[in-house]
Amino acid sequence: MENTDIIAAIATPTGRGGIGVVRVSGKNLQTLAQRIIGYVPQARHATLSKFLDKNGCAIDQGIVLYFPSPHSYTGEDVLELQGHGGPAVMNLLLSCCISAGARLAQPGEFTLRAFLNSKLDLAQAESVADIIEASTTAAARCAMRSLQGEFSAAIHMLVQVLTNLRMVVEAVLDFPEEETGFFQEADVYSQLKTIQARLECVRLSARQGSLLREGMHVVLVGQPNVGKSTLMNRLVGQDVSIVTEIPGTTRDAIRQAIEIEGIPLYVIDTAGLHETDDAVEKIGIARTRSTIEKADLVLLVMDSRLDGVAPMDRIILDSLPAELPVIHVHNKIDLLDEFSRVTKKEDRMEIYLSAKTGVGMELLRTKLLEVVGWQSTSGEEGIFMARHRHLLALTEAGAHLDNATRLAERASQLELLAEELRLAQRSLSSITGEFSADDLLGRIFSSFCIGK
Amino acid sequence: MIFSENFDVIVVGGGHAGTEAALAAARMGQKTLLLSHNIETLGQMSCNPSIGGIGKGHLVKEVDALGGAMAAAADEAGIQFRILNSSKGPAVRATRAQADRVLYRQAIRRRLENQPNLWLFQQAVDDLMLDGESITGVVTQLGLKFSARAVVLTAGTFLAGLAHVGLASFQAGRAGDPPSMSLALRLREMQLPAGRLKTGTPPRIDGRSIDYSAMMEQSSDTPLPVFSFLGNAAQHPRQMPCWITHTNVSTHEIIHGGLDRSPLFSGVIEGVGPRYCPSIEDKVVRFSTKESHQIFLEPEGLTTHEVYPNGISTSLPFDIQIKLVRSIKGLEKAHITRPGYAIEYDYFDPRGLKNSLETKAIRGLFFAGQVNGTTGYEEAAAQGLLAGINAALKTQDRDAWCPRRDEAYLGVLVDDLITRGVTEPYRMFTSRAEYRLQLREDNADLRLTEIGHRLGVVDDARWAAFDAKQQAVVHEQNRLHAVWFGPSTSSNSLPETDALRVLGKTIERDCSLHELLRRPDISYANLMTLPGAGKGVIDPLVAEQVEIQAKYQGYIKRQKDEIARNAHYEATPLPQDLDYTTLGGLSSEAQQKLNQHKPETAGQAARISGITPATISLLLVHAKRGFFSQKKKKVNESGDTAR
Ligand SMILES: Cc1cc2nc3c(=O)[nH]c(=O)nc-3n(C[C@H](O)[C@H](O)[C@H](O)COP(=O)(O)OP(=O)(O)OC[C@H]3O[C@@H](n4cnc5c(N)ncnc54)[C@H](O)[C@@H]3O)c2cc1C
Ligand SMILES: Nc1nc2c(ncn2[C@@H]2O[C@H](COP(=O)(O)OP(=O)(O)OP(=O)(O)O)[C@@H](O)[C@H]2O)c(=O)[nH]1
Ligand SMILES: [Mg+2]
Repeated sequence: MENTDIIAAIATPTGRGGIGVVRVSGKNLQTLAQRIIGYVPQARHATLSKFLDKNGCAIDQGIVLYFPSPHSYTGEDVLELQGHGGPAVMNLLLSCCISAGARLAQPGEFTLRAFLNSKLDLAQAESVADIIEASTTAAARCAMRSLQGEFSAAIHMLVQVLTNLRMVVEAVLDFPEEETGFFQEADVYSQLKTIQARLECVRLSARQGSLLREGMHVVLVGQPNVGKSTLMNRLVGQDVSIVTEIPGTTRDAIRQAIEIEGIPLYVIDTAGLHETDDAVEKIGIARTRSTIEKADLVLLVMDSRLDGVAPMDRIILDSLPAELPVIHVHNKIDLLDEFSRVTKKEDRMEIYLSAKTGVGMELLRTKLLEVVGWQSTSGEEGIFMARHRHLLALTEAGAHLDNATRLAERASQLELLAEELRLAQRSLSSITGEFSADDLLGRIFSSFCIGK
Repeated sequence: MIFSENFDVIVVGGGHAGTEAALAAARMGQKTLLLSHNIETLGQMSCNPSIGGIGKGHLVKEVDALGGAMAAAADEAGIQFRILNSSKGPAVRATRAQADRVLYRQAIRRRLENQPNLWLFQQAVDDLMLDGESITGVVTQLGLKFSARAVVLTAGTFLAGLAHVGLASFQAGRAGDPPSMSLALRLREMQLPAGRLKTGTPPRIDGRSIDYSAMMEQSSDTPLPVFSFLGNAAQHPRQMPCWITHTNVSTHEIIHGGLDRSPLFSGVIEGVGPRYCPSIEDKVVRFSTKESHQIFLEPEGLTTHEVYPNGISTSLPFDIQIKLVRSIKGLEKAHITRPGYAIEYDYFDPRGLKNSLETKAIRGLFFAGQVNGTTGYEEAAAQGLLAGINAALKTQDRDAWCPRRDEAYLGVLVDDLITRGVTEPYRMFTSRAEYRLQLREDNADLRLTEIGHRLGVVDDARWAAFDAKQQAVVHEQNRLHAVWFGPSTSSNSLPETDALRVLGKTIERDCSLHELLRRPDISYANLMTLPGAGKGVIDPLVAEQVEIQAKYQGYIKRQKDEIARNAHYEATPLPQDLDYTTLGGLSSEAQQKLNQHKPETAGQAARISGITPATISLLLVHAKRGFFSQKKKKVNESGDTAR
């Protein structure tokens, strides 16, 4: 028995300006191809084509490659859409594939399918298992980080109202003999409207970017005077942090929103870490520590003239959670007349640059994008993708809520409305975890006095 | 003494599970023995005299579609019939009947006695006979030994049953019946994972002492509903109404006054009771702000004055029971004929079952009904039927039949039990079924009768009736697809007045009758009044089917797509003797859960709580590779050798 659903994902780790690939795999992709490019492309030929959204408007243009089953990576029909690699465009393209009938692939799912369809050697089973495991853990970690702050609060509020509504509707369906008068029909409609409004709110702020940024924090730490504030100003593009040659200039964490290739981030400048008796500085350092707790990526800034990681830095580094990515930035290379470069030491990324002259800043941006916002070279999903997953789930839930509202307006049969609400909740459960029928019944029994 | 005859299937217990099991196995041609404490209590309703209701009615229709007895017996015994949820949509619509206890028992008994291949014998079973890990028969109280290749155990609330009234307790299977102590002990010795559950029942009242004048009357629906697909309203005996009254503040005070002698609140009862069927003391304590609870007074039959007060199940001491009953409006002078009580009993963790209801531990031993942690006649009957079928199949060396969640409530019931276990007595609700829209009462026959025919539980008469109905439905659907109306300018246009009357607007493009029927506000009956719509069908069941299928087409298609997407999980078997700790990549939590459940398919595994999609992906990888070839050498040709 085969899988019949269609999966899609962004397949390339995109740097700046390059091309990005959205890969789609499924048993039969002809209908999907029709929708996205308007025709079924010739097999194994590169074709230049426009990519269309669900209204038929072109969102991008690029190369299409079509590999019909079984001669493809997964053994199913595979469609590769190569567009302009910017994350924003790639996401749009991915969304189009999803509204055309695909669903977002689970981490490692392409490889899984390739394996299940005998495209990979049996001996590779172990590595397939490893890929699934590694990418799942990475995705789970990112999903956790994505679910922070405002975003999480908004989602949980939404789920709660939805659950309450479902509880009432299901109680009415399963316990018609109870006199409790669980609800007024009119109530359902107004509650639905409230839920929809909330959902719209979340989606709107997501579109404006603020939500995507929520939870994605790049924190600059390091010894006093190594050039953190200078680097911050560079990244932001304006002077938001005071720069002096006096160590201990920055006392309070400064937070600023930036965008790299359409991906919004927060950059946070902190007080330099060192032993001090100055009361104000002490507070600043304490804040640095608490800021680090919320970080998704730490940039440890060092003066490249000095000898690497200082003892105080070491203490901080050791206290970081193991999975939190850290990039070592060796600043002030202009004073050494060195070139900007990236090296990897024991799996850790080291970037040499000059914040003052701007040399190497492009490199840093690319790496930031890779680690925090986008797919990393190892094929793992970044937080941005995790958040994107969440937003897709919201969109899906929203569609079911729209249906539910239409049904409520028509005062049609309650069981259909209940079905839409169930589907809406199921969409959200990819964010909030499983909510079983038994959980729902539990809510009903603890809220209403039911039973004879 | 060894009984001279051998049987294919032995069913232990003559309750709702046992009788359906025995009937099903015998219908399938297997030589079947039904062993029960007492032939007089075959088909006895231990608690309230009613069959059906939301979710339960669905199960009854499924049992009927598979040739079972429950619906037909209810048609012969029902003294009040109603359709619940009639305005809320066909999927949640359910039939409920108040049954005359005596008539119901007789209806079941008659079927048992007249069933070819079925033998009845009155004896308590005290022990099971095993050969290694296979069942070979049973031993009764008198030491009689009966041999069979398959045994279905349906002992209900009888295993180590302990009844409570106040702080007094006594051993019983239910009031008036002895418990099964030796068998319970033996089963525990066999290391089958057991637990204790609890349920309760209200005191019964002499109807002559009830003042109905101040109560609300509730009569049967008109037209009179019918349970069985082969039944008709003419089979129903005389109808009687139910009555509705309420508890009040003083009732609740009386209850509070007795809590110190409540076995429930003083910790005497260990078993867990159902949350949705709480005792009145439970309701009063947990929902203390509620000043009144509804009570249905249900007649126990045509030939008795006894009345069942539905809503005041209790295990309070008897003196409190009298006072609380008499505090209720209309019951001031009530005479109690039987005290209410709670009962605790052994059940077996259903996670120890395959989805055929065969125990994983002992080959050929099947469990059905209350012993699996469920409650309710309908839940018991449905499991009994399934266990009977699978016991028969086993003795015919045929594969088990395991209905899927999208096929039947029966599938939902069994799958829930075996993948999630129970923490309280399990009752069916429609909200448990994710494919609710297609698991309707009205199409239970369309879903199951053909399967039942193949299995051998559906007889020719039922098959013929079903076949005729199904053909009529298809015929009418084809006709509706073939009749077209066009816009006003076309030759096949509708007169405007008719269009407005039936459709609410004129037709703008060519539309078949079937398309029109799909619109939400257009009924089949109304549609057939259009000039040119033709005659339509007369059989209301056919018309209903055509209409519902048209209206729900979009939803059903969506559910079907989803089912198709998940089908490959259900089709991926997992070995039963696998130690999951040897599988790489699984979290230790997943390993532990999988070892505990030993799911039969990847689909079942996915429904175990806490098992993630990634775990399932890993299981698929291991399945493809062949679970036990872990240490084997590399396979050189690329992959296709995988099982
Ligand atoms: C006090 C009480 C209250 C209840 N309240 C409710 C309620 O509120 N709602 C609800 O839905 N359901 C209720 N029930 C449950 C309902 O009665 C059962 O769910 C249903 O009857 C179970 O059917 P069964 O076939 O599994 O077992 P039962 O109907 O209990 O039948 C068991 C049969 O097995 C026989 N038997 C047992 N042991 C042996 C043996 N060793 N040898 C031979 N024969 C044996 C018995 O004689 C009996 O015929 C209640 C039951 C009781 C006793
Ligand atoms: N030559 C050179 N000087 C730099 C560079 N980056 C920063 N500086 C100088 O180093 C000094 C300290 O810079 P800041 O950015 O204030 O350093 P900081 O790490 O924020 O210091 P505190 O806030 O005190 O912790 C200033 O005089 C900067 O001009 C660089 O890349 N090259
Ligand atoms: Mg600074």
